[in-house]
Amino acid sequence: MRIVAHPIIEDYQKGPLVQFLYNGETVEGHAGESIAAALRAMGVRIHRYTTKQHKPRGVFCAIGRCTDCVMVVNGVSNVRTCITPLEAGMTVQTQFGLKAGDGK
Amino acid sequence: MKRYELIVIGAGPSGLSAAIEAAEAGMQVVVFDENGRPGGQLFKQIHKFFGSKEHQAKVRGVRIGENLLAKAKDLGIHVILDATVLGIYKNKEVSVLIEDEVQNYKADAVIIATGAAENMIPFKGWDLPGVMGAGAAQTMMNIQGIRPGGKILMVGSGNVGLVVSFQLLQAGCEVAAIIDAAPRVGGYGVHASKVTRTGIPLYTSYTVIEAKGVDSVESAVIARVDECFQPIPGTEIELGVDTICIAVGLSPMSQLADNAGCQMEFAPGKGGNVPVLSETGETSIANVYCAGDVAGIEEASSAMIQGKIAAAAIARDLGYIDDIEFAEKKTAYAESLSKIRAGMFAPGNKGKVFEKTDEGFTISDSLLTKGYLSESELSAFPALDASGGTHIVIECTQNIPCDPCQDVCPAGCIIVGNTITQIPKLDKDKKCSGCGLCVGVCSGQAIFLVNDQYEDGYGTVGLPYEFLPLPAKGDVGKALDRSGAPVCDATVVEVRTNKAMDKTAMLVMKVPVDQLSSARFFKAAEGGN
Repeated sequence: MRIVAHPIIEDYQKGPLVQFLYNGETVEGHAGESIAAALRAMGVRIHRYTTKQHKPRGVFCAIGRCTDCVMVVNGVSNVRTCITPLEAGMTVQTQFGLKAGDGK
Repeated sequence: MKRYELIVIGAGPSGLSAAIEAAEAGMQVVVFDENGRPGGQLFKQIHKFFGSKEHQAKVRGVRIGENLLAKAKDLGIHVILDATVLGIYKNKEVSVLIEDEVQNYKADAVIIATGAAENMIPFKGWDLPGVMGAGAAQTMMNIQGIRPGGKILMVGSGNVGLVVSFQLLQAGCEVAAIIDAAPRVGGYGVHASKVTRTGIPLYTSYTVIEAKGVDSVESAVIARVDECFQPIPGTEIELGVDTICIAVGLSPMSQLADNAGCQMEFAPGKGGNVPVLSETGETSIANVYCAGDVAGIEEASSAMIQGKIAAAAIARDLGYIDDIEFAEKKTAYAESLSKIRAGMFAPGNKGKVFEKTDEGFTISDSLLTKGYLSESELSAFPALDASGGTHIVIECTQNIPCDPCQDVCPAGCIIVGNTITQIPKLDKDKKCSGCGLCVGVCSGQAIFLVNDQYEDGYGTVGLPYEFLPLPAKGDVGKALDRSGAPVCDATVVEVRTNKAMDKTAMLVMKVPVDQLSSARFFKAAEGGN
């Protein structure tokens, strides 16, 4: 999913590859890119499940307005992953309702 | 409480332009932006802008953004990021949320340049992961360097839908189709044409009725609509896509102005609820101004000028420039603004249907309904020169404000004139040198360099090309016509790039002479380059 070569954009100015925890698994992304971008590069599309109907939600606006992409980051719920830069060692968890969980 | 002479809210094209204008006049300025990066949407705009030299036409939005940031830095403008303005209160007190702490600022004047947000349309399954704004897709691919999906349906054929579709192709995504519920293409014909010639179908009078999938989008169901925009049963088509992008317009983010107590109006032509403004952008509250999309949806080019006008007015009120200097600036900016606001797609012409151009030419029906010109309709336009040898064909058939082709031609072959919305004409007395600069520079990618005397029975077509991998001399493939249908075999005989064309290559392909008027795109053979 990463764009390796682009006809117009020469450099996406990414930070170094760093490790972070996604639902307990050690994975990699570039420091400074949005958490959502790092997840999308891995093929992740579901960021959370809604509280009542347990419906999946993912990136919708990508600029921090809609809050569809919120996840549990470093133990804090409702973090907008599309505008939160990835840092080494972060823990990122799928959000179920308002908290992390292990499934419906 | 920290004090500044001017607080600008929003570090997009309008806000930055305003801050620069004010700082140049000698004012103390601070700019707040809720995002982690400045520039607003400019850094996502990797296409070349329209307009004239003074509007930075033929320059990509991303470069305009870089220039604005460099200028702001040189002037020592204080840009505070991750700073959300919560409200504007009495006496121009502004509360800002910075790192979970509310800080209060006060200024002599405030410019609200908060831009716009994307509109959405609800349909069955629209909340599935994989349905997103076209702007979201643009952010993912052009800022984050991530493809939003593999195969995409674009809903909306305004300039945003068309430009983002093209950018999705540049990012290596497949675009299954562009649809629009309206019976006509909403954006510039040239933007539509550069997408349709690659083979992407554009369906007008179609809407999306369902996104299907278990955990994310697996397909999209589209259907034809009647005159009342209701889906017609039996016309459904299911497209296998993993992403649906919505590009159905923008709404001004005018909440700050509204909450501050500015007089508001609902103006559909401007995109929604907007503040009532004076000529210089002042709201009903003295020294609180609005500039850019927050005042009504337009292009970044006009947003930048609006920012400058507001800042100049404030500089005059605070005594940094005198009445004479202000009058000069205002006249120049107003003139520049009226130039870019002209033509068929001008803000005041929203929803209007034009059958003829200003010059009296009939607008192509094929262009308006399918997104590409038909050869027979094109023949009525003036920029066709059938003279032998090397010549250019300009497929620019609507009155849009743009004239870089006229400036760039070293031989002076192209005439737009002083009214930059005029359709370009050719000066038949001047001889095309075949340099191809116009091909590479045209923001609409609507100019082709044709040579009908290349070799016996064959000619060449030079076309703008902005994809990877860049074909090389000797590559073989198919020539596609304006609709994207293959018409004949083609061989690449030259690929020209230079700095002035800024990453747009001119690809020259050899085709039989009888296809010179139809071959408009090159598709490399499978397995080839």
